Amino acid sequence: MGTVAPTAMSTATPPMPIDHTLLTLTQWLSPAYPVGAFAYSHGLETAVQAGWVTDAATLEAWLRDILSDGSGKTDALWIWLAWRGEHPVAELDALARAWSPAQERLREAERQGAAFAKVTAEVWGLDLPPMLLPVALGAAARQMGMDPEQAAALYLNAFAGNLISAAQRLMPLGQTAAQGVVSRLTPLCADVATSTGALTLDDMSSSAFLSDVAAMRHETLEPRLFQS
Amino acid sequence: MTLHMREKQAATLPKANILPRARGTLDLTTKPRGDRSAIDRLRTSGCVRVLFPRSERAVEAIVINTSGGLTGGDSLSLAAVAGAGSHLTLTTQAAERAYRASADVARVETRLAAQAGSLLQWLPQELILFEGARLRRRLRVDMAADARLLLAEPVIFGRTAMGERLRDVVFSDRIAVWRDGAPLYLDGLDLRGDLESAMARPALGGGAGAMVSLVYVAPDAEAQLAPLRDMMPETGGVSLMRADLLVVRLLASDSLELRRSLLPVLDRLSRDTLPISWRL
Repeated sequence: MGTVAPTAMSTATPPMPIDHTLLTLTQWLSPAYPVGAFAYSHGLETAVQAGWVTDAATLEAWLRDILSDGSGKTDALWIWLAWRGEHPVAELDALARAWSPAQERLREAERQGAAFAKVTAEVWGLDLPPMLLPVALGAAARQMGMDPEQAAALYLNAFAGNLISAAQRLMPLGQTAAQGVVSRLTPLCADVATSTGALTLDDMSSSAFLSDVAAMRHETLEPRLFQS
Repeated sequence: MTLHMREKQAATLPKANILPRARGTLDLTTKPRGDRSAIDRLRTSGCVRVLFPRSERAVEAIVINTSGGLTGGDSLSLAAVAGAGSHLTLTTQAAERAYRASADVARVETRLAAQAGSLLQWLPQELILFEGARLRRRLRVDMAADARLLLAEPVIFGRTAMGERLRDVVFSDRIAVWRDGAPLYLDGLDLRGDLESAMARPALGGGAGAMVSLVYVAPDAEAQLAPLRDMMPETGGVSLMRADLLVVRLLASDSLELRRSLLPVLDRLSRDTLPISWRL
């Protein structure tokens, strides 16, 4: 009996069945989903006008801070909390509103959340009253039996991608450079999605202070392309 | 022990912490008396003392931590109520210092209430974080629907002018304002490790060494928005979250610069009733 050299066929793991919920999550978080994400810069427009963000490197640093220590982290935690269902979502939504650091931040999450809840409830037959976007997403992911970590990671990646698109309209930033920034932020999006899964409501905190200031100052910014 | 001695000891003592651990409590309630306000109940214990330099329209309370600063294992628990229809202004005699703590964290819990028709002003002077500090602060305010509030919490991230650098600090802070049983304003930060590097990051502090978070709840909040916007430096923002809720986040290079921007704002929102200890 001779030994048989293993073939590629015999060592490869069998293909994973395609997870339909992942495809649906991708649909929800694609720029084509009608929540109007393109209208918001999350204070980035102020940061560009103030000269705090000027190129790919400073954009990456700005977004890194927001993802790891600002609304990226808090939004991911709201997604987890809404998914866990330990608190009624209406209660979480009220808390998330009180946590909003600036009026345009609140409106950004409120309008996108209302649009998301309306479309998603209608198409998938879910129970989604109007809520801030991350709370609505977490609640929808729970009702669909989705993986909260994937929901948070895709949300953060979409959030970063949207702001990088906004940056391309605000300053000179080529397509290749922009995609480079997205790709360098991807591991951070995954890390934040994972690490926030270990946190509770008591851990809700944010230290992206200048990003809050940028959001506040955007209210009177002239001229302005974005709603936040 | 004087403040100076404690500061010196805190800086030079070896890791085995032999500093006495300070405990202190405050329990204060005010009530209206004619068109003024008066003390209704007062109890203090441990390292907390209170001075009442004047009680006119508002009771003005200056809270003193006689231990001279916060260090590991210290615990302060402050409770104050602006009783229905009364005015209460709380401040501190001087900046509060959070010193190096070898093991335990220092804890400060503040529980405030503003009853129907009252005015509560929580205006402590700066918290100064020193290298090695371990501090956990929790502030909760419960307001009646028609109560008014002015709250400001200034924090200094090390006395940079004196060459101090924060490389190893744990600072956890929460502010929670509830009205009629519902959350109105929530804020909090958890900073750990090298705070100098953290505050240098572009969307965190952009190199700032001082910060204040301010909350103003009053029927005229909307009318204060435009004047306050004009008073903000480039690193400060003000936003109207509701018709009667105004919030400010303001960063500055150091404590002096912070005061330069903050004092006019506090004068305006307190209608020139800022406690005298802020001027010393």
